[in-house]
Amino acid sequence: MPKLDLVKWARIKSPWLLHFNTGACNGCDIEAVALLTPRYDVERFGVKLEPSPRHADVLLVTGAVTKQCLSRLKMIYQQMPSPKFVVAIGACACSGGIFKGCYGISERLDKIIPVDVYIPGCPPKPEAILQGVAKLLAKLEGSK
Amino acid sequence: MKRFEQTVNLLKKNLADSILELNTPHPRRAFVLLKPETHPDAVSLILKNVERSGLSTITGVDLGKELEINYHMFCGGSVTLKNRISREKPFTKTITDILPGANLYEREVFDLLGVMFEGHPNLERLMLPDNWPQGNYPLRRDWKLPDIPESSAEDSNDTEETKPINFEEAGTIVNVVVGPQHPVLHEPERFSFKVDGERVVDVESRLGYVHRGIEKAAERMMYFQDVFLVERICGICNAAHTTCFSQAVETIGGIETPPRALYLRTIIHELNRIHSHLLLLGVAGHLLGFEALFQHVWRDREPIMDIIERITGNRLMSGFNTVGGVRRDLAPSNVEKTLKTIEAVRKRADFYLKVLEEDATLRMRTEGVGVLSKEDALKFCVAGPVARGSGLPADVRKDDPYAAYEEIPFNVVCYDECDTWARLMVRAEEVLESLNILQYALDNLPDGRLRIRVPRKIPEGEAVSRVEAPRGELIHYVKSDGTAYPYRVKVRAPTLANLVAFPDAIRGSYIADIPSVMGSLDPCFSCTDRMVFVDTNNNKRWHMSLDQVNASKNWKVR
Repeated sequence: MPKLDLVKWARIKSPWLLHFNTGACNGCDIEAVALLTPRYDVERFGVKLEPSPRHADVLLVTGAVTKQCLSRLKMIYQQMPSPKFVVAIGACACSGGIFKGCYGISERLDKIIPVDVYIPGCPPKPEAILQGVAKLLAKLEGSK
Repeated sequence: MKRFEQTVNLLKKNLADSILELNTPHPRRAFVLLKPETHPDAVSLILKNVERSGLSTITGVDLGKELEINYHMFCGGSVTLKNRISREKPFTKTITDILPGANLYEREVFDLLGVMFEGHPNLERLMLPDNWPQGNYPLRRDWKLPDIPESSAEDSNDTEETKPINFEEAGTIVNVVVGPQHPVLHEPERFSFKVDGERVVDVESRLGYVHRGIEKAAERMMYFQDVFLVERICGICNAAHTTCFSQAVETIGGIETPPRALYLRTIIHELNRIHSHLLLLGVAGHLLGFEALFQHVWRDREPIMDIIERITGNRLMSGFNTVGGVRRDLAPSNVEKTLKTIEAVRKRADFYLKVLEEDATLRMRTEGVGVLSKEDALKFCVAGPVARGSGLPADVRKDDPYAAYEEIPFNVVCYDECDTWARLMVRAEEVLESLNILQYALDNLPDGRLRIRVPRKIPEGEAVSRVEAPRGELIHYVKSDGTAYPYRVKVRAPTLANLVAFPDAIRGSYIADIPSVMGSLDPCFSCTDRMVFVDTNNNKRWHMSLDQVNASKNWKVR
């Protein structure tokens, strides 16, 4: 009989997400919130938005990382318990997008913290974010 | 329009000595170059004599040898008062003593251009990061990006360790810091509430967590590229930004936009307003603990998103406007579908208006909370639904019509209660009003071209463009030096105007009312889930989540 990994099972059945806007225009954030509402209803997969980094499994990052947000982003990432996963939502979080090279922007997100899933789009549709979440769940299955 | 002419005549009559130059290049727009340091007189003259006048924003422009400070006054149109000061000694008089609403605008100009406003109550950093080197002003033309040391967590104001609060040590006034990270909602900003027991005594805000430097970036992109850049200032009211910017450039270039394009712009602009107002009503429900309202309103917002997607190809970023017109047409079959959806949404909007009017719990939570009197609203120059909830019928669509609004009949929704409830009601009624505008525009859509090809180079000049974004008056100032790249682009979004009034609205409220008052000002903000407590005596900081606070045995209500 295979070993029952209760924590992992629980994580796949109900990943808790923490959302952090590091300098987004609200577009991706609105679409991420729309996920929770009746048409998309991501909670049916057990996904829940969690206010505190200390209870979260997955960090959703939207927007290019501004210089002012950089240290806060690192702090939030450190506060999350391992294993932790990061999802970059939108073109800005994936690559810096249109704001690449602006004086208020620091580095690309994946040079600051490791990113597991990239969801491109400006902003990605809620369906695309759902697909990203599904891919993340598949990744969680392979995690230890 | 009368008020605008009155203002110009007033300036000509009373300040003839101090006016060096007065141009009225575009309808309802005047540019007045004043003798140095005479701007406070002009500002107070307008405020005293013109009804419902105020300050839209302050723009600093680096002219190379001098710095030009533009005071954009709204008074039916827009009068720009120009004050030129030396670049080496950038000192000028403040106008915050005449108009407290100028506070944040002066701080912004100080932060980005290094202009010292003598007599300003707290001339501190507003936008730039904490670790930004002194003496670096990014909006000066010769500025180059310096090496910026990476800020360590210790530099920032929100380092803290978790430990329970000891109220014996903390004293009666406690700082409750909210942000920059918080759940469900969007923008990372930080507010520091000074709390005495359950009552809020004062609040300080720290902006700039999403400051990306768009105004500077706009200077190195061409006009037609900038349309896509300004669209990404805000994902919610993107059509307002593109309309505003395109209008400014069209005004400088003397470009006549075809009527069909103006109507299509209006349609997409109103769709934007409807989805934004519904979004806020849902969020307000969430903040008040009325979760069912949140879920229902957001469900009924989806058909509007579908319309936008059908017309523009994208749910949020429409990419619809461009300089000289619009980029996509609206097919007749699409018009029919849209009209059907509007009917369905109208029924739901009627229902929500009834809920807001009749739900006893909701009224108890919002009535008499976060009161912003009419006088204060004028003093702080607030905009949009916040002003209209305080009994000021301020609406750019009526005061200073643009796009197709001159031809479309509609009412300005205005409430005199001045509280959170009034501000929510304004938005709920405006959804219905916008649906009417939408229907009228779709029924009377003129035929013709969609856009005019515009040369890349725009002649020399400047323009102030105003639109009524969902959150209030949005103003863009564009200055062209005759090339394909703008010399200066200045954006003032309505939230900055309304934020000035926030301390006044929240003072004396309960901690529990912070979310609802904040929500009713609609700066896209929720709070209270992760707080930082600061001991004002020894400046120790620590944070707790709301659950921890509730669970803490030390928590006593005083």
